[in-house]
Amino acid sequence: MDNLIWGYVYPNEVEIQWSILIVLYPYITGLVAGAFIASSLYHVFGKQEIKPVARFALLTALSFLLVATMPLLTHLGHPERGIEIMFTPHLTSAMSGFGYIYSFYLIIVVLEIWLSFREDIVKKAHSSKGWKELMYSALALFSYDISEKALHEDEKLAKRLAIIGIPSAAFLHGYVGFIFGGIKANPWWSTPLMPLIFLMSAIVSGIALLILLYIASMKIRKHAIDHKCLHSLAHYLWVFLIFDVTLELLEIISMKYESLEEIDIINRLLSDKIAFTFYGVQLTMGIFIPFVLLLLVGMMKNRETLKMIMISISSVFVIIGVFAMRWNVVIGGQEISKSLSGTLTYVPVFFSQEGVLPAIIILVIPFIILRVITYILPPWKDMEEEVT
Amino acid sequence: MQPHLKKAFTLLALVIIAFIFVRSLVVPSSFGQYGWYRGDSLGDIRNFPVEYAGSTSCGEENCHKNIYSVWIKDRHKTVNCETCHGPSEKHVNNIREMPEPANDSRDYCGLCHFKRVARPTTFPQIDPDVHGENMRCTYCHNPHKPWFI
Repeated sequence: MDNLIWGYVYPNEVEIQWSILIVLYPYITGLVAGAFIASSLYHVFGKQEIKPVARFALLTALSFLLVATMPLLTHLGHPERGIEIMFTPHLTSAMSGFGYIYSFYLIIVVLEIWLSFREDIVKKAHSSKGWKELMYSALALFSYDISEKALHEDEKLAKRLAIIGIPSAAFLHGYVGFIFGGIKANPWWSTPLMPLIFLMSAIVSGIALLILLYIASMKIRKHAIDHKCLHSLAHYLWVFLIFDVTLELLEIISMKYESLEEIDIINRLLSDKIAFTFYGVQLTMGIFIPFVLLLLVGMMKNRETLKMIMISISSVFVIIGVFAMRWNVVIGGQEISKSLSGTLTYVPVFFSQEGVLPAIIILVIPFIILRVITYILPPWKDMEEEVT
Repeated sequence: MQPHLKKAFTLLALVIIAFIFVRSLVVPSSFGQYGWYRGDSLGDIRNFPVEYAGSTSCGEENCHKNIYSVWIKDRHKTVNCETCHGPSEKHVNNIREMPEPANDSRDYCGLCHFKRVARPTTFPQIDPDVHGENMRCTYCHNPHKPWFI
């Protein structure tokens, strides 16, 4: 234990309480917010080139949204008490808003999915038999009107919901950043930029995930990839990467320029404790390399396969980089002592309630949910049309 | 509004009403009476039977006066009798009701005295792997007068 500690630390800091599961919580909510915002590029801003993945993005957002509470419930234990946050929210804590913000967003996403898939659901209800007919009829709420007028109404409402959805997705994730940014005792967390940094990294991770899932599903289904859609997603990924890196560097630069009393411990954190995950994984692998690769993709002509490989590598790097960013915030912030003159070390364990194994399981579940949802509500129709 | 949208919004309204209804059933009526907790819990806690009698009750009336006078002068005076000997209210009221035997296991002493980085360095701490050959601490140390070996 002694070699994990340097300098002077307070007794109640020795054990790092927020483990890898708390790293996972902002990571998963970020993927949700990012996927939703990617889908709203089509639904709200009418970017037709995103259309093939717009509905798939909503299903991805839902799959990850359904597990967003799991890291917290596993970390805290007693999941049956989780609902108390909604029954008696203590409004002096930002965390008390979680239940309501989450539920509101869940309603928006479910309604949005229902409206965009309603035509398919009704057609399936008509064409299937037995329990499937019952399931699809129930999903259609036993209303089978898919006249042009009804679908037009659906589209209008879906657009309105998506307009509400963007601020609520931003709110859902911005507020996770706010929880960290509002912890005034911790100089590594306490900055009003935190919600925006979280939001931007959420958007890049969500878009990157969507790119990978799109390529993977098309490869599995042995269908040609819509390169226009892929390039458009890559373009947005590149644009949001710029916002992301600007904010992240702005925070560090202003911290270093201001050189307040905490600068020594921050320097030690950056040069020793999280040097590899911050400079190596978060900045170089997660931002710089994808930035250059995506820039090349934008400049290159033809060579679609090479571009696809470059976009895939960028997306994988971005996803790993954003995970490292969450790690650096959550774990890094706890590796410096509140005394500002000591550091601690987080050693992840594998088999434990707080361990790496539950984290892996929680990270795998959304993909299983996504597989089930795409079986019930296949988004392939629009993913596979109009490919030249 | 289209009938299917009416149905969807009715369903949503029903879910919200069900939530409000369940909340009204589950949240106790005295919640928030004094603060962010169930007001009636104060009465519930007050009605718990008293289990601890306090260290002075052991030394009173000549019952355990000798050992009490040793303990009160030594460094473990901040550790109450009942910390190791267990709750004694029943025993004080009726001497035939004996408390549980004192907990003198090595791990129990270790709760305070095993080496922890978070403890002040001046606090007596041992590394259980190298100190005492895994014997019970009370084999050498008198818990009432800990430096007396």
